[in-house]
Amino acid sequence: MADKSNDPVAMWQNMIGEMEKGFNSFANQAMASPEFSKVVNQVGGVTAGAQKQLGDVMEKYLVGMNLPSRAQMVSMAERLQSIEGQLNEIKAMLNAMNSNAAAATGVPVAPRPPRTRRPPSAGEPK
Amino acid sequence: MNASPGPSVAGLDLASIPDRIQSEVQRAIQRSIKGVEYIASSGPSLGSTPKDILAVRGTMNLYHYRPIADEIYRIPILIVMATTNRGYILDMVPGQSFIEFLLKRGYDVYMLDWTAPKPEEKSLRMEDYVLDFIPDCIRRVQQDSGETDVTVIGYCFGGVLSLLYGSIFNDGPMKNLICFTTPIDFREMKLFSNFSDRRYFDVDRLVDSIGNVPPEMILSSFEMLRPASRAASQVQLWENIWNDEYVKAYRMMDRWGTDTLPLAGEYFRAITKDLMWDNKLFNDTMSVGGRAADISKIKVPILHAVAEHDHIVPYEAAKHLIAKVGSTDKEEVILKGGHVSVVAGANAIKRLWPKLDSWLCERSI
Repeated sequence: MADKSNDPVAMWQNMIGEMEKGFNSFANQAMASPEFSKVVNQVGGVTAGAQKQLGDVMEKYLVGMNLPSRAQMVSMAERLQSIEGQLNEIKAMLNAMNSNAAAATGVPVAPRPPRTRRPPSAGEPK
Repeated sequence: MNASPGPSVAGLDLASIPDRIQSEVQRAIQRSIKGVEYIASSGPSLGSTPKDILAVRGTMNLYHYRPIADEIYRIPILIVMATTNRGYILDMVPGQSFIEFLLKRGYDVYMLDWTAPKPEEKSLRMEDYVLDFIPDCIRRVQQDSGETDVTVIGYCFGGVLSLLYGSIFNDGPMKNLICFTTPIDFREMKLFSNFSDRRYFDVDRLVDSIGNVPPEMILSSFEMLRPASRAASQVQLWENIWNDEYVKAYRMMDRWGTDTLPLAGEYFRAITKDLMWDNKLFNDTMSVGGRAADISKIKVPILHAVAEHDHIVPYEAAKHLIAKVGSTDKEEVILKGGHVSVVAGANAIKRLWPKLDSWLCERSI
């Protein structure tokens, strides 16, 4: 077996791993300070506000160009998803009604497995 | 038979050098070919275990996975997913799916998963999640399964929601509770705590100005916990791009990790003020919608699985859960792995999943 301590590839991988750990640790120490929190929240607050304003401006621009915005496209996709969900719900209700009707008329329906499973005894394969 | 070692210089076996060079050249060629394939392909299909959607109500989605065992345990399971991430982390691909594992072991599995809250859902509050969505899903599980008792499994913040639910509805129908990497002492999530320092973080201004908290902000806060890891993982991906299994695993985790959900504004405000600032869950002063949520009221059997190397929910943030719940049948397991790998990584197949099965099977009859 190759000696890992002299394997250049292993050494490279080890170095990357150590650099990652070192940088993460260093950054975590820096980020734990109150000064970091202060700066990040000042910048973050300004950025979030600016992003929101930019988004509003873009939305108005796209309306002017008679084009849908990303938010509208996402909203449309989600509404489609919601319609699909409601269709699935209707399907589930129909299935349930079908099962009830079948049970009432004595017609067999695809059964679910019985809830009779017991834990395997010691040594028994699972 | 062992081959006799060849000549060596400074511990390096000289005879192995030509083979090693050949192997590295082959890998370099494979990297170029597979690198192009990587960019051109869309990655594995995730969350493909057959399921039926039982309910969709805004951000709330309830699935029922189709049983595959001939005989199932009496008590169904409801998995409550974390509100920041998608549920397919627990249903990656066949052979690496927690859901598939549970189905094969004879459990009846339901999942409460979340989609991105719409702008008009910014007013969803903590009580909508704890007093409405979870009870609604429990009711639907009872109705669909025909059973009164339900086992609840909560992952990360899904665990927090399950604890709040269990402490308020402490007389049933939750029969067993399993939490994965669930924080209760939010002071110990030191970096998150510092990011949301009440002296500098104006949560009211943020929520009032932007509504729902965008996923980019949630993702950045997770990535800031390990700022070098994304770059390092890209280097490792390039090194291992010749290895299809590595690339598949990387793509699964990377897709899930970046597929972060926005958080409803009011819900985020409550998390920040009640949990991050006032640490109310740990201090036994938490209430949801005016109802006291004291986890010492939870009496059902409980298992808490925590990860040894969890950088998102450090052990210190999770360790008091078992001591604080009122259950007599309670257990904590500390497993090797990180926040995600402990539940969904290759090692989860060997560690967490069998442990959970052996704990739950005798409590599911």
